[in-house]
Amino acid sequence: MSPDRNKTEQRRPDWAALAVAVVLAAIAAVIFIDVSRLKGTGGYSQVGPATVPDWIGFALIGLAIWTVIEAFRGDFPTRDKQEIGPVVWIVAGLVAQMLLLRVAGFSIATGILFGLTAAGFGKRKLWITIPLGIVVCLFIWLIFAGLLQLALPAGPLERLFW
Amino acid sequence: MSTFEFLLQGLASAAQPINLLYALIGVTLGTAVGVLPGIGPALTVALLLPVTYRLDPTGSLIMFAGIYYGGMYGGSTTSILLNTPGESASIVTALEGNKMARAGRGGPALATSAIGSFVAGLIATLALAFIAPYIVKLALVFGPREYFALMVLAFVTVSSAFGDSTLRGLTSLFIGLAFSVVGIDQLTGQNRLSFGIPDLLDGIEVTTMAVAMFAIGETLFIAAQGNKGPETVEAVKGSVWMSAQDWARSWKAWLRGTAIGFPIGAMPAGGAEIGTFLSYATEKRLSKHPEEFGNGAIEGVAGPEAANNASAAGTLVPLLTLGLPTSATAAIMLAGFQQYGLQPGPLLFVTNPQLVWGLIASLLIANLMLLVLNLPLVGLWVKLLTIPKPWLYAGILLFATLGTIGANPSVFELGMLLTFGFLGYVMRVLGYPIAPVVVGLILGPLAEQQLRRALAISQGDVTTLVQSPIAAVLLILAALAFIIPLILRIRGRGEVLSQMAASED
Amino acid sequence: MKHFFLASILAGALALPAAAADYTIMAPAAPGGGWDQTARTMQTALQQEKIAGNVQVVNVPGAGGTIGIAQFASQQKGNPNALLVGGYVMVGAILTNKSPVTLKDVTPIARLTGEYEAIVVPASSDIKTIGDLVAKLKENPGAVSWGGGSAGGTDHILVGLLAKAAGVDPTKINYIAFSGGGEALAAILGSQVTAGVSSYGEFESQIKAGTLRLLAVSSDKKIEGADAPTLKESGFDVVVQNWRMVAAAPGLSDEQKKAVAADIEKLAQSKTWQEALKTKGWTDTYLAGSAFDEQLAKDISATDLVLKDIGLVK
Repeated sequence: MSPDRNKTEQRRPDWAALAVAVVLAAIAAVIFIDVSRLKGTGGYSQVGPATVPDWIGFALIGLAIWTVIEAFRGDFPTRDKQEIGPVVWIVAGLVAQMLLLRVAGFSIATGILFGLTAAGFGKRKLWITIPLGIVVCLFIWLIFAGLLQLALPAGPLERLFW
Repeated sequence: MSTFEFLLQGLASAAQPINLLYALIGVTLGTAVGVLPGIGPALTVALLLPVTYRLDPTGSLIMFAGIYYGGMYGGSTTSILLNTPGESASIVTALEGNKMARAGRGGPALATSAIGSFVAGLIATLALAFIAPYIVKLALVFGPREYFALMVLAFVTVSSAFGDSTLRGLTSLFIGLAFSVVGIDQLTGQNRLSFGIPDLLDGIEVTTMAVAMFAIGETLFIAAQGNKGPETVEAVKGSVWMSAQDWARSWKAWLRGTAIGFPIGAMPAGGAEIGTFLSYATEKRLSKHPEEFGNGAIEGVAGPEAANNASAAGTLVPLLTLGLPTSATAAIMLAGFQQYGLQPGPLLFVTNPQLVWGLIASLLIANLMLLVLNLPLVGLWVKLLTIPKPWLYAGILLFATLGTIGANPSVFELGMLLTFGFLGYVMRVLGYPIAPVVVGLILGPLAEQQLRRALAISQGDVTTLVQSPIAAVLLILAALAFIIPLILRIRGRGEVLSQMAASED
Repeated sequence: MKHFFLASILAGALALPAAAADYTIMAPAAPGGGWDQTARTMQTALQQEKIAGNVQVVNVPGAGGTIGIAQFASQQKGNPNALLVGGYVMVGAILTNKSPVTLKDVTPIARLTGEYEAIVVPASSDIKTIGDLVAKLKENPGAVSWGGGSAGGTDHILVGLLAKAAGVDPTKINYIAFSGGGEALAAILGSQVTAGVSSYGEFESQIKAGTLRLLAVSSDKKIEGADAPTLKESGFDVVVQNWRMVAAAPGLSDEQKKAVAADIEKLAQSKTWQEALKTKGWTDTYLAGSAFDEQLAKDISATDLVLKDIGLVK
């Protein structure tokens, strides 16, 4: 972030920052709408369940306006280019784990997460990484669920051992 | 002096070889479970308590103390090395600790954390033994308005974790505050922002948010840099041990952290996190190297870690003197004590001196054992950083989700982990700091509830907030902490400081 | 012969799980609370008495147990090895949170333990009897602040019932909800609130040490060792018991339900359980079968009424 570049881009709006402002305003709107049904239940304290959320909402609106101003002044730091591929791999791993956890048990679900995360970082040989992950996870399952009684969901694989 | 005799007697029985072995087992088990992100000391102790039932009272008390301190300490290691706080009290540790680890100073960071925990644990346990009755009187003076003032002070200190932009720091904080109102309102039982989803009724779990924002957000961010980032982290630059300068900068931070953490831990609604926030802010204000904060300042690890452990001992003050379980961990300990025939309460020190002093002696032994176990392992732990990126981050995600699943095996919780992880990633890309979000989530409900309780008791009279001397002093401190940096900045000195901080990048 | 052989294998296969079923007990609360302790005590007793093989405890904390029960009802349907711990607090929480999943969506098995409530003031207070406190309440309901557990919980319900019995508008009570027993107790000891409400066991050691004054208890008959009248004796027709129960999954066959009920009955009578009750100071209020179902229905309708009176349920 060299100051020269900031100058040349000065009057151009920073679209990402504008998007942040919109999101902040949207959060505020959701808060206002949701707590509007709670008005007048404050009891003796005058400050009811809706009061503090309202304050937070107003502050978010203020921050949204401030963000818009800064976006036009170009005060945000420049961003490095992001590579989308690895992010997709890892998010896919987390989603797979979430969906498979109940059905396939801890080891298989988490083993897949392990393999896909490694793929996100460049190890794309899934037929090696996923089985490796499953073995590691099974070992961990045996220690934490088997010996230390931590409640980790069991699947077909775990039932073979316990 | 009978107090002293009891303590010596307790120490003598705790120092028998077989009991030392139990302490070692307890510390190891506690660390092993406590190291999982999202599993704090409360769940660790609850899980492992049955293990201790099979031993005689002395042995089980010692193993229990080991599990407790081990669980407390476990969270810091992952905070420092992997930027994945194990529990809410070690979030602040991740701020400076992980920066140090990245710069090849993971060894000193782990060492100052271990030694700081030991020093704080030692002083705080001794304080527990000798001044608990006085501390507890002070703690009971704290009512809702005093807590509210304390929270205001804590809020002001958050600004020290804002990074270089006030706008983005404040935005992060208010995003955290917005998340903090989700769930059932404690005081009226009404739902807020839960949109009919039962899993949201209890609000957003702080540990889930912290693990997601730090561990998953960070993993996504590093992955998205492709091959641009540094290949592997250099695990050790310079010595793996603390240098003379590290010692010189750490010891005062340890003592200050202990002084802050112990009384706050003793307060029934204080909470270990608050102590770590205040300690971090104090160290940043007092440091001769403020420019290093945010880039790996050793004081920023030493102080909060000491505060964290001191407040763990502080929690025992109301528990042992009044029978008040003031945290989930304390409530489980209460259950544990009952197993040994202890009935915590105001008469405990009188009716059961042997067991109480046995427990305090056990805590001292466990504390020492923790240091013995962990210092030699520092060299091994930092080697973790040399694991090639694909395996390291696959492992981080494995353990991060393992902790969340173990604490609450629900698909919804994993969904939150993913959502907040992605949010953490986007915020990193846009240059927003992460810590204020988590801090807002922790402080928001505390401040709101105490404010509303105070006002309900006074039937809506706002002046009640400043009518108590303690509350007034705390609010004045908060105001000063807010105004003085502003004045400094206006006079131009802050300008220089922030320039220096910026040029470090 | 061949048939006999097959039949005996089948019988063996069927009998095996019945001989020592594995259980997963859900405690719909954070570690450390009453439900968690109940679940973990059950775990120890079931295993030690060899009533069950492997027993696990799962914590699903939050919202007075409504999050746990929602998860339990949807995920464990038809699973005879799943148990849920719950109690009176859950009844109130289901109503206040308008939870779509209620106790009707699980299979209640038995009530296990119970605790009675106590009303206390700090020792330094000028209030000496429950009569003094109620007089103050009648004079200015807002000036009497009550410290207790979560909004809509047992403590809150007791205050609402007492106000109603004393002829005070229950919506006017100034109830201050604290999170967790320790925090409420600290506020009472520190005289931050006028009076405190919680289970008797929670206050017992303080009362004995003379730091709290016991005004009344919520039981039917006097509590042994407690030097205070019941609310009933003081002229307020209020009895509240904070009980804890165990439920099984929905959609069980009658046989499966019977097997679980039999295991729980064995548990309730076992030596380990009885000893645990003693060390923890819990009262054995074991009640099962249709008697329990009736009691449960009665409690639910009474609670609904009082929560409407307080204004928490509309």
